Amino acid sequence: MRRDIEHQSDEMLLERRRPVIGVSRAAMQEEKVGRSTVIEVTDLGVYYGDFKAVSDVNMSIRQNEITALIGPSGCGKSTIIRCFNRMNDLIPTARVEGRVEYHGVDLYGEEVDPVEVRRHIGMVFQKPNPFPKSIYDNIAFGPRIARYRGDLDDLVEESLRKAALWDEVKDKLGESGLALSGGQQQRLCIARAIATSPDVVLMDEPCSALDPIATLRIEELMFDLKDEYSIIIVTHNMQQAARVSDRTAFFNVTLDDTGQRTGYLVEFNSTDAIFTSPNEKATEDYITGRFG
Amino acid sequence: MTAPHDSMAHFHQELEDLENKVLGMVDQAEQMVEMAVEAVIEGDLDLAQQVVELDDEIDAAYLEVHERWTSLMARFQPMGSDLRKMAVLIQLSTTFERMGDQCVNIAKITQFNKDLPRVERICEQVREMGDLVRPMIRTSIEAWVRHDLDQARLLPAMDEPVDRLNANMYKEMMAVADNPELLEWAAKMILVSRALERVGDQSVDFAEQTAYMVTGVRSGFDHLVAPPGDADTG
Repeated sequence: MRRDIEHQSDEMLLERRRPVIGVSRAAMQEEKVGRSTVIEVTDLGVYYGDFKAVSDVNMSIRQNEITALIGPSGCGKSTIIRCFNRMNDLIPTARVEGRVEYHGVDLYGEEVDPVEVRRHIGMVFQKPNPFPKSIYDNIAFGPRIARYRGDLDDLVEESLRKAALWDEVKDKLGESGLALSGGQQQRLCIARAIATSPDVVLMDEPCSALDPIATLRIEELMFDLKDEYSIIIVTHNMQQAARVSDRTAFFNVTLDDTGQRTGYLVEFNSTDAIFTSPNEKATEDYITGRFG
Repeated sequence: MTAPHDSMAHFHQELEDLENKVLGMVDQAEQMVEMAVEAVIEGDLDLAQQVVELDDEIDAAYLEVHERWTSLMARFQPMGSDLRKMAVLIQLSTTFERMGDQCVNIAKITQFNKDLPRVERICEQVREMGDLVRPMIRTSIEAWVRHDLDQARLLPAMDEPVDRLNANMYKEMMAVADNPELLEWAAKMILVSRALERVGDQSVDFAEQTAYMVTGVRSGFDHLVAPPGDADTG
């Protein structure tokens, strides 16, 4: 019996989390077939103290698609993406209103464990941030905390393969993650994010610190990963959004009388529509460089 | 809210220059149509030679447009209405390079037909076709410049009499079939008629491209054309 537990699949482990976040892997797979909504955002607003950073965002993030969030600095796109795995909880003054539902479960419900949320909804940051540990331990860190009972070696290899890094590091798994190049470090962080078998991967400017070749490798990786994951990317680079995403959300910012800036969603549509014939003039002005 | 300003001013200046280059090709093609029809009807070889030389200029402009277009795409990766305008400009440069070729085809017939007997009625029909297609080119340009969808939608109706005259040309040729020299001349004039019919179609295409540029929706003007009738014989 014990042997069975040791060899139970990762899917079964996720199944056991069900009471915490209320979403089973089976339900996810079922939804993937219909390319349905994975995250539903309703009337989302975010405050930092009295400052309203973002207001009235409504959008549906679809399963197994790449969704890009674009817009000028200060429009709240990073703030929004951080709401999707409750990273804003780490900022004491942050407050969220409205609803963010993950497979129908309110992510801000009282019974929901934020740590568990982040296992389902992983995140990759702007600057590659490997732990000062070996390549192997970077990947194994999350699963160990989650008390992963499968074969850790296999999980590390699988994660590195999915992140297109295995061939480059398989002979030096004991070396420090910090010894890798910037692009490799970012792929290590992606491998680390997917090692806990998330359903959604959030990427906040994942290529802004990388050279063009490393950037294209990450973009290629995103194409590969979307078969298995839903990806949401914040990017300043419109061409990157146009290249990689299926749907794009354009955010803008308003200034009130006191000079306070609040971000809002202008338009959310297929990436083709956004970049060839957007519905809103503000979007057109932004993508054609006529933005004021 | 500050007024919008153009943070890609350099690109937009280059795009405007590219557009003017393409519109220059259109102006030149319109002029060539007039000259080619005049040359073939009057048997004016000098005028026909000028058409051939103007076509060399259009060909050079076509190559320059393609080089500038590629450079702009590589450097600026335009989006939105800028992208649509770029897509249309490259298409238009091809369309009007081909219109130049149609004019050369007409001009070359001038030499061939010069010493053959002619049928005045056919000459009048060809002249009429020339008089019909040149306003089509002009209307297309104006629709483009003004972003005027209503004006662009006039083109299919303007093209109908051109198609009718072209369809009728076969009957005119058969009417002189018992005279080998007249038949030879008329057979060449059918090629002239066909070239002018193509010029009309290319003008309609220009207007369709304008509609796409303005609306972002690709839908041809076929629905604006009357169903086929007796004009389509021949």
